[in-house]
Amino acid sequence: MTMYNLTTDQRVDEALANNFLRQATRRATDRLRNNKYKAADELGNWEEWRGAGETIRKHVIANLDYYLNQLIEQMEKRGVHVHLAKTPADAVGIVRKIVHEQEAKNVLKSKSMISEEIHLNHALEKDGVAVVETDLGEYIIQIAGEPPSHIIVPAMHKTRQQVADLFEPIAGHALSSDTPTLTRFVRLQMREQFLRGDIGITGCNFAVAETGSIVMVTNEGNGRMVSTLPRVQITLMGMERIVPSFRELDVLLNLLARSATGQRLSSYTTILTPPKHSADSDGPEEYHLVILDHNRSEILGDELFRTALNCIRCGACFNVCPVYRQLGGHAYGSVYSGPIGSVITPLLEKDWKKWGHLPYFSSLCGACSEACPVRIPLHDLLVKLRMRKTQSGHTPQVEQHIFKAYRYFFSREKTLRRVLRIGAHLQRPFVRNHRISGGPPPLSNWTKSRTLPMVAAKPFMQVWADLKNKR
Amino acid sequence: MTTTKDFINGLSSKLGRPTPTKAPTPVEISVPQYRLSNTEERVSIFLQNWHALGGKGAIVRSENDLLQSLQEWFRDQPINWIKENKLALLAWDMLPTIAESAFSSLNWPLTRYTQSSLNIRDRYSIAAQAELGVTGSDWGIALSGTIVMNSNPLRGRAISLLPPRHLAFIEAAKIRNNLFEVLHEVSALGTPPAAIEMISGPSRTSDIEMDLSIGVHGPIEVYVVVIQD
Ligand code: SF4
Repeated sequence: MTMYNLTTDQRVDEALANNFLRQATRRATDRLRNNKYKAADELGNWEEWRGAGETIRKHVIANLDYYLNQLIEQMEKRGVHVHLAKTPADAVGIVRKIVHEQEAKNVLKSKSMISEEIHLNHALEKDGVAVVETDLGEYIIQIAGEPPSHIIVPAMHKTRQQVADLFEPIAGHALSSDTPTLTRFVRLQMREQFLRGDIGITGCNFAVAETGSIVMVTNEGNGRMVSTLPRVQITLMGMERIVPSFRELDVLLNLLARSATGQRLSSYTTILTPPKHSADSDGPEEYHLVILDHNRSEILGDELFRTALNCIRCGACFNVCPVYRQLGGHAYGSVYSGPIGSVITPLLEKDWKKWGHLPYFSSLCGACSEACPVRIPLHDLLVKLRMRKTQSGHTPQVEQHIFKAYRYFFSREKTLRRVLRIGAHLQRPFVRNHRISGGPPPLSNWTKSRTLPMVAAKPFMQVWADLKNKR
Repeated sequence: MTTTKDFINGLSSKLGRPTPTKAPTPVEISVPQYRLSNTEERVSIFLQNWHALGGKGAIVRSENDLLQSLQEWFRDQPINWIKENKLALLAWDMLPTIAESAFSSLNWPLTRYTQSSLNIRDRYSIAAQAELGVTGSDWGIALSGTIVMNSNPLRGRAISLLPPRHLAFIEAAKIRNNLFEVLHEVSALGTPPAAIEMISGPSRTSDIEMDLSIGVHGPIEVYVVVIQD
């Protein structure tokens, strides 16, 4: 059974019972967060950089039609094949068609969250195409058959022994579980793949509208391999991933590298303006850009949530989120986890039944908004999403009943007094140190992990009335 | 299949207005940019940062300086590599003069990537089997210890990618303070080259238990020579 088949409660229970996962998540997010703090401090006046990032992203989203059109024009002028996909199924169809036309057998991929979003690997594998994830973390979870648990460190939840166990059948011999051995194995293993790849599929961190360029950031160099060696390249991009020109790119690349891993720049930042020039001695000859909507245009039209499109996918909000830090990514059940995942998944997927739990994966502490390099008010969006969900009538029945009862009693003073009196009586067996703990269900759902304040022996209404009388 | 026009019009209607026909006024950006006062400082910070990332680097003022650095870094390995594989040292068609003459004085024969084979697949195989890739650079970035290279027909992107070692030459005057200055000059090119590669240190990953590991895909060892006039 994969995590996709589990209920939210089952996933959460599984995460809570997995000590390694919880320790590893905390350790990794601590490290990423502290690295980010250092890198942000060092830049001098981080708030000015954040402000600039926010302004740029808002400007792009407010003019997305203009810039997207400019990007497409620039790309097509040079002979890039641009494909527009309204839905994930459209995007998958486009890629399958290209792969089919090229009679490609080996597809190499560098990290792309869009490919996860549209579940591309699965579709290609069904067509009998060998798809190889070349980012080490993605490779690990591909073999394990799991979705990423962090947007920057996808296999954060795996121990090195688990990784060694996953690699051994491929290696055909025992592997020691030290990192250099595992890394060396992947280097050798991938080398052959890189030279054999027919098509390279990459993601896109930013697309520069003015010049029609694609910017890709990696640390391992697999992005460069995938965008240099195969004859045909396909880049998948979410339609919001645009910057107007190189001027704005500077700010966003600084914010991205520093917020994601605390680096000043990632090891490899590649700016592609494809396809290769005819006399160039290497690089792909044929270039396809697939631009995905998948309800992003709905978000664009929704003023309450438009800022969600400003995200630059740095992962900083994951690393500070108390819920993410306790549970890791898989408990969310979605491709995008962490605070931004909780915001965009219900909006992209438009399925409250399946994703309605996500806005509640938050303590609303606001740490995510504080961490966000482009100042997306994430906790605020989560509250608004809860409101949206309630308005759409998807709240659980128990909750609906509780709020109906609340309205009923709080609009009837006498009844309320009576109920409070009864409550004060009934609670007695469960009160310890002025707090309620224990009790029958559904109360016990709450009290098994925390306490409730007791119903006061003398309700406030009574205290207030007495005070008034004294005067 | 959605046409571009429909797609874009759809977005405009979501934004509640017609598609703009004129470019939007660019936003004002004022962020404090990192600046050093002169080339000497830039060179020294650039190298300091390059070292911190795990690269090796040296400033050379003469061919003698360069010979010394190369011998110190590689000793007689190149001679042995060449014995095994004639094409072990792979380079751009043109390197800074000082680099060309140092390699000939050392008798370390450079293979020019673009001429190594007529077939692109074979060139990749040659690059994958080479021991050292040798390139120049178009810019450096002091703040991040980065070298920047434009692609062009006399170069080759695989040279700095497939061999396990990459040696780059850069003239001191090409080192800028920050990324902004480099991107500004890229802008001035008009149409950028097919690829601009910005490289900051060796290939690295922390994907297994956040343990830093070098050389998973790209070069494992990276060297930079700053040529000071
Ligand atoms: S919401 Fe902000 S902090 Fe979270 S991934 Fe996006 S840009 Fe980064």
